[in-house]
Amino acid sequence: MIVVKDVCKRYGDFTALEDINLEFTNGLYGLLAPNGAGKTTLIKMLATLISPSSGEIQYNGENIVSMDQRYRELLGFLPQQFGFYKNYSPAQYLFYLAALKGISKQQARIKIDELLAKVALSDVKHKKMKKFSGGMIQRVGIAQALLNDPKILILDEPTAGLDPKERARFRHLLTDLARERLVIISTHIVSDIESIANEIIMIKNKRLLYKDSVEQICETLRDAVYETTVDFSQLDEFRKRFVLLSEKQEYGKMIVRFIHKGDKEEEWIPVHPQLEDVFLYEYQDEMVEGL
Amino acid sequence: MRILWNEMKKILTWKSLLLLLIINCILYFFLIDFYIKHFPNGRPALDSYRIGIEMIDKYGPSMDDEEFKDFLKTYDAQVKEADQYLQSDPQAVEEGIDTYKKFMDYDWNNAPQEVWKIREQIFFEEKVNTFWELQERERLIEFHELKEMEPGGTTPAQKKQYAKLAKEGIFGNYPEIVITNFHDYISNVAVAILFSVVAVMSPMILRDRTRQIVPLQYTARKGRSLLKTKLLAGFLSTLLVVTSLLVIYMGLYSLNNTSMFFDVRINTFIGNESWYNPTFLQYILFTIGGIYLVGIAFGLAAMGFSTIVPNTLTLLGVQIPFVAGFLIFGLNRMITFPMNMWFPKWQMPVFFGLLLLSSLIFVWYVIRREKKMDIML
Repeated sequence: MIVVKDVCKRYGDFTALEDINLEFTNGLYGLLAPNGAGKTTLIKMLATLISPSSGEIQYNGENIVSMDQRYRELLGFLPQQFGFYKNYSPAQYLFYLAALKGISKQQARIKIDELLAKVALSDVKHKKMKKFSGGMIQRVGIAQALLNDPKILILDEPTAGLDPKERARFRHLLTDLARERLVIISTHIVSDIESIANEIIMIKNKRLLYKDSVEQICETLRDAVYETTVDFSQLDEFRKRFVLLSEKQEYGKMIVRFIHKGDKEEEWIPVHPQLEDVFLYEYQDEMVEGL
Repeated sequence: MRILWNEMKKILTWKSLLLLLIINCILYFFLIDFYIKHFPNGRPALDSYRIGIEMIDKYGPSMDDEEFKDFLKTYDAQVKEADQYLQSDPQAVEEGIDTYKKFMDYDWNNAPQEVWKIREQIFFEEKVNTFWELQERERLIEFHELKEMEPGGTTPAQKKQYAKLAKEGIFGNYPEIVITNFHDYISNVAVAILFSVVAVMSPMILRDRTRQIVPLQYTARKGRSLLKTKLLAGFLSTLLVVTSLLVIYMGLYSLNNTSMFFDVRINTFIGNESWYNPTFLQYILFTIGGIYLVGIAFGLAAMGFSTIVPNTLTLLGVQIPFVAGFLIFGLNRMITFPMNMWFPKWQMPVFFGLLLLSSLIFVWYVIRREKKMDIML
């Protein structure tokens, strides 16, 4: 079990994360927040690439930094920017990383074949990676993270560059993997984790906002999400009054999905809140700032 | 071992070997080739070289006063040869230069063209060895006769060393052509090797950082101690590069055919008064050792900078002052004339010590820094 205890991270005067307390057991955790919210900072702290300014992270009661090699032996990590040598083939690169992970040549040979098949790269295992598409590179990244059969798998934006088919395949793979290990995925794409995560972690204003199941998080907007049809002429006024989650054009009118906490109007249809609704609602200010 | 080998393979790629080849070809043809192709460089250099070999054959690695008498005898015999040559030349006889002494005492500054022609014929058309060699022998005799004369403006330490050499009967009276050629050759070889090491070692760690491979490396079992393995791989690669280049360059040097001078002690060469007195071969080995130390120091420093700087341009920029500083202040003191009395005795060991120590401290700092630093890539 990983425990994040009172963790803060500061860079000079800038605070990236403050008072983060979390517990991770086996299963799949989705770290969901918009870009710049501190996801990567937290992920890098869990991967020992960054040290907390205060607080500590423990694995089974022991500080992960003090555990040193013993912790990294349990770890599989895919960074946001997956680096590789352009002139290496996937097989060559995985052999290189296998050596760093302490895997013997013989074991590595078997494992690499197995993993490249899993990520559908068997037929290009000896081709130079400089000719690979972004999706193919990302699949090599996923394969390398699994090389040492990690107990803790940390993936930072793992679906970047993958097409819808690859994303679906990847979700299946993660579901399988999360059965017997701890998987933490950071993403800002709700659909990547909505259906597979046991728990979602959301960070807002540098602090932990939610750590709960998708259902429980969605409960926070119970009886507050509606859909209704609005005339184009009324749309601007509607936007000003409510937090709009989505807008869809149909038969010359707009079907809008929005949030309202209070008395409902008759023509509004209450709908079951989705994780994306919570995401858009919670980060509405950051989205506006981002625009 | 596998990791070390992998890191070495990353350094010694065909691209870096090609870069090595280009650097060394350019520097060889601009700086080094001359000292192989043109050794001995014309005359009387050739005569100096030949007389040097003759002296070693006859007197061994040094010439004492008894042997010097024999040297004078050879000189006298050669003067007679020159006399005979001149007497056999009707033109020379007609002009009144029928002996070598007259030939030497002749007022050549005001010589008419017909007399100049005689001189040109002897030296440049017929290339009469006797006349060329006599000049060199006279120079050597002069040096031998002035052997105990101490140059002016010497420091107390230099005076002491001159006295010590004189007491031990060590004087500079053998032709210096071989050691001068070696000084020139080895300093340019050192420059080529230094540039090669810096060029090959510089990008090794930076490349992993710019390609964002470090997060993968540092989260693997090996972790941040990989930096030490990379440095070791760099160190071994430096040794490999320096050794390979030295094998090639010393192989080329062997074409100069100077092995007969190997047993001559360096103070025995004219104008080469030194703090220490190894044989020429020992001296060559010492300078090779010096090149290894300089190569290792600059290799370590290049890897250290590679760990810190943000990009290739900065990496090159930051090393230029260090390389230039070495070429200006270090090269002569450490490689070209490491034992020469022109420089204070303390300078060579202090320069080597400082160079090695500073690069080791730098690498130690880099390792310590990397252990705890946040990997922000």
